[in-house]
Amino acid sequence: MVIEKKFLKGNPLKDISEYDFPGLRRALSLGQENVIQEISDSMLLGRGGAGFPTGTKWSLALEQAGDKKYFICNADEGEPGTFKDRFLLEERPLKVLEGLMIGAYAVGADEGFIYIRGEYDLPIKIFREILEDARDEGILGKNIFGSDFDFDLTLVRGAGAYVCGDETSLINSIEGKRGISRIKPPYPIQEGLFGNPTVVNNVESLACAAEIINKGAGEFVALGTDNSRGTKLVSLSGDINLPGVYEIEFGCGTLEEIINDLGGGVSYGNKPKFVIPGGLSTAALLPEELNCGYSYEDIEEAGSSLGSGAIIVVGESRDLVEILLKVSRFYMDETCGTCFPCREGNKQINFMLNQHKNKKFTRQEVEIIKDIGDAIAAAARCGLGQTSLSLIESIFDKFPEELIEEVRHSEKVRNR
Amino acid sequence: MKKSNDIFLETVHNIQQTYGYIPEREINQLAEKFDQPRAKIYGAIKFYSMLYTEPTGKYIIRICDSLSCHLKDSHDLLLAVQDYLGLEDGETSSDQLFTLEIVECLGHCGEGPVMMVNDKMYTELTKGKALEILQDCK
Repeated sequence: MVIEKKFLKGNPLKDISEYDFPGLRRALSLGQENVIQEISDSMLLGRGGAGFPTGTKWSLALEQAGDKKYFICNADEGEPGTFKDRFLLEERPLKVLEGLMIGAYAVGADEGFIYIRGEYDLPIKIFREILEDARDEGILGKNIFGSDFDFDLTLVRGAGAYVCGDETSLINSIEGKRGISRIKPPYPIQEGLFGNPTVVNNVESLACAAEIINKGAGEFVALGTDNSRGTKLVSLSGDINLPGVYEIEFGCGTLEEIINDLGGGVSYGNKPKFVIPGGLSTAALLPEELNCGYSYEDIEEAGSSLGSGAIIVVGESRDLVEILLKVSRFYMDETCGTCFPCREGNKQINFMLNQHKNKKFTRQEVEIIKDIGDAIAAAARCGLGQTSLSLIESIFDKFPEELIEEVRHSEKVRNR
Repeated sequence: MKKSNDIFLETVHNIQQTYGYIPEREINQLAEKFDQPRAKIYGAIKFYSMLYTEPTGKYIIRICDSLSCHLKDSHDLLLAVQDYLGLEDGETSSDQLFTLEIVECLGHCGEGPVMMVNDKMYTELTKGKALEILQDCK
């Protein structure tokens, strides 16, 4: 029986007068290198979807020369099915602020931004108030808690562009440009916002960092599996009885157990047709593949990815073509258009999917779709393009009888 | 230190809050303030789906039809709203009261289907509830 493990979750924490920032105070007394060492020891992996080690990112940023560095919290949550960052921004915003300030202190940044997607009206209001209070209380400003750490934080509202969740697009967006991705290298830690070294971290990663410094890396490392330490906020949605945000210790159970024990089982039909384990950019898993453990490595071994932790359950009798069209329209609408294989490819794929005959495709059509997908994955600069076909291709792979028209025997004979 | 009115997106949001859209004269001023050609300013604004260079309806209705909401029958909700308003995706009513947009994930996937009316989010909607909300928009 899988139950929640609360490392990040807790009582609402929004009132700055009721919070003492113990993690930040401890960080200031530890010193920059020790803070980064502790984050590295915790083996925290970035929670936005890519899973890059946070300690490594911070330590590379600290090594960068130059007086001016920026620290950005990426709160542009937009991966369909994902709403765990909103949960933190609404319920535990002070932990997010604390993690952001710990990170800024550790890498030597004196200026930061929190980029919240424009549709998140409540989180924007909450943060606007928090920033005002924090300035009044001297939590933001000069010589924070009597140290030599100066830091100010600015809220930037996004304006409806999924691609800005990519860190280089997000940086362009803060700079007042179109939110298109940049060529890497240089990576943001080398040359990011306004040409300066910049760290971009996801909301959940920062909340984790705050708790790790607060409680010590030991408590975090003790949770989870060898390669996936700690807990993960999982967003459950789709054809499931008890949707919501759940905090799960890695390796505590299988995907199937999470869906049944926490999610209350499938709400449309008796079993899932398939499950998307990490948001719209990750490959589908069949019911018989759901006995894989919940960890980065186990889901990867099952042929998909943990992504942002958005588990979407699709019920037994759902129409696959309708879902394919939904997914492909998303990428067609949200591609930024910079890399043309992503811009034109996703458009062509949507066009081809619309050409189905009685919800079937020919083998040749499926091959062309895969071909375009390969070209996009190889040529796209950012994660949006690279993963835009993961789900669609996996659905074709896993449901060939349902989607692919077999060449009839008589035609085979005729073609000979 | 950057102030929030040094940040282009924040400035543009504030202009839009005042006028409901970004009028051309403001684009001229933005070009001066940020020392950019007008075409760049216009190009940046047009990139973002929540920024408008033409007046919109008093109420912007956004309905999510991403996968999780779609599985919660957002399409039926959308058809009912389209029918009630007589609008297609992206259109504004002739009385300038409503603009309708079909949008991607609004981050309330566990409470679908969802509809945003300007800044306000309505979750777990039925067709009836949605139409009631729209009837109150005057």
